[in-house]
Amino acid sequence: MRLSEDPEAFEAFYRRHVDAVMRFVVRRVSDPHLAADLTADTFLAALDSANTYRPGRGSEIAWLYGVARNVVSAHHRRAAREVRATGRVAGRRMMDDNDLTRMEERIDAERRMRRALEAMAGLPEGERAVLELVAIDQLTVTEAATALGIGKVTARVRLHRARRALENVASPSAVYVKGEA
Amino acid sequence: MSGNFEERLLSALKAEITTRMEEEDMAVRTPVRRGPDRRFLSLSAAVAGAAAAATVALTLFVGAGTPAYAVDKGADGSVEVRINEFRDPGELQAELAGAGVRAVVDYLPAGQTCRPSRGEPAGAGGQMQVGIGKEGKGIAFKIEKGQVGADQTLVLAITVDQAGADRPPMATSLQVVKGTVAPCEATPLPLPTDSSTGENKGEEGPGHHTESGGKDGGPSLNTSTG
Repeated sequence: MRLSEDPEAFEAFYRRHVDAVMRFVVRRVSDPHLAADLTADTFLAALDSANTYRPGRGSEIAWLYGVARNVVSAHHRRAAREVRATGRVAGRRMMDDNDLTRMEERIDAERRMRRALEAMAGLPEGERAVLELVAIDQLTVTEAATALGIGKVTARVRLHRARRALENVASPSAVYVKGEA
Repeated sequence: MSGNFEERLLSALKAEITTRMEEEDMAVRTPVRRGPDRRFLSLSAAVAGAAAAATVALTLFVGAGTPAYAVDKGADGSVEVRINEFRDPGELQAELAGAGVRAVVDYLPAGQTCRPSRGEPAGAGGQMQVGIGKEGKGIAFKIEKGQVGADQTLVLAITVDQAGADRPPMATSLQVVKGTVAPCEATPLPLPTDSSTGENKGEEGPGHHTESGGKDGGPSLNTSTG
């Protein structure tokens, strides 16, 4: 079964994860239209990578968060260059008023997490990435390693460093959400 | 609009899948058969076009040698490429251009690959299985005459093994693209999983795919069998 070739398999995959992806996105952006775009872009990117993705062992969500993370980062890079990429599937055009309200509610619900993420902004990228996925997105260290394409031990070391760095700053408690390996 | 955002997005994505299946998706994933102590080499080779229809015109194997790469033009117009070490992609590109093959070469760090859909696949949809053999290090392949046409580009994306630039790559993707080639946008290399769901020819039995999790592994197509 391949996600990109089997609409039914894709549908099951989508339904399993669409909520998680939207939450992941609204922890990082606070504009509901943009959140809709990035949700759509994440699933499109998942389709792009799906030619080699095969379900089975391993955490689907870790893989998908890895994809989502790249999509959000790519967006930030594009935003920096003030270029707007328009794909065939534009999320924002699928939003009606009702969806807008629901998306805003999601955004509100994740406010605390967005603030916690801001507090991590000063950390080196590699360390921040692991801490984000573990403390904010609630992945295990192993899953975070998978999402980032790094080793488990590396992930654990980075997480440790990130936490220690934050201890030295007055860190918000949200960052201290536990993450088990 | 009917339904909600999630449902509309799902419909749009399913339509996208159908569209893509119609217009492209010629990537063939060809895991490698290998003996004990051999590193796993995964090839995602998509080569299309009239030239591809006839024979297995592109052979990919792991070869041995010393310089970073070698490009040899054969008397029959074919071009043999051997990459021993994954560095200086620009030089290899230039060398290939000198041999009459327009190419875009990217070497990516472990765990990453280029987002697919780098451009319009050349030709109408012939799929080609890529034969692989290997020994030593690096990879090598042969481009038959005319396989990469005048308005076409060989797009090569190699995920370098974290153990070193001279090790067989984690993954290799070969495509022939017609017209403009999109720049490589790094994306995580999808997780290797057990091969029981694989549908490709040449797939080997279970037990050869190993997810490394122990050391500094990351998601990888490496294995330590044997």
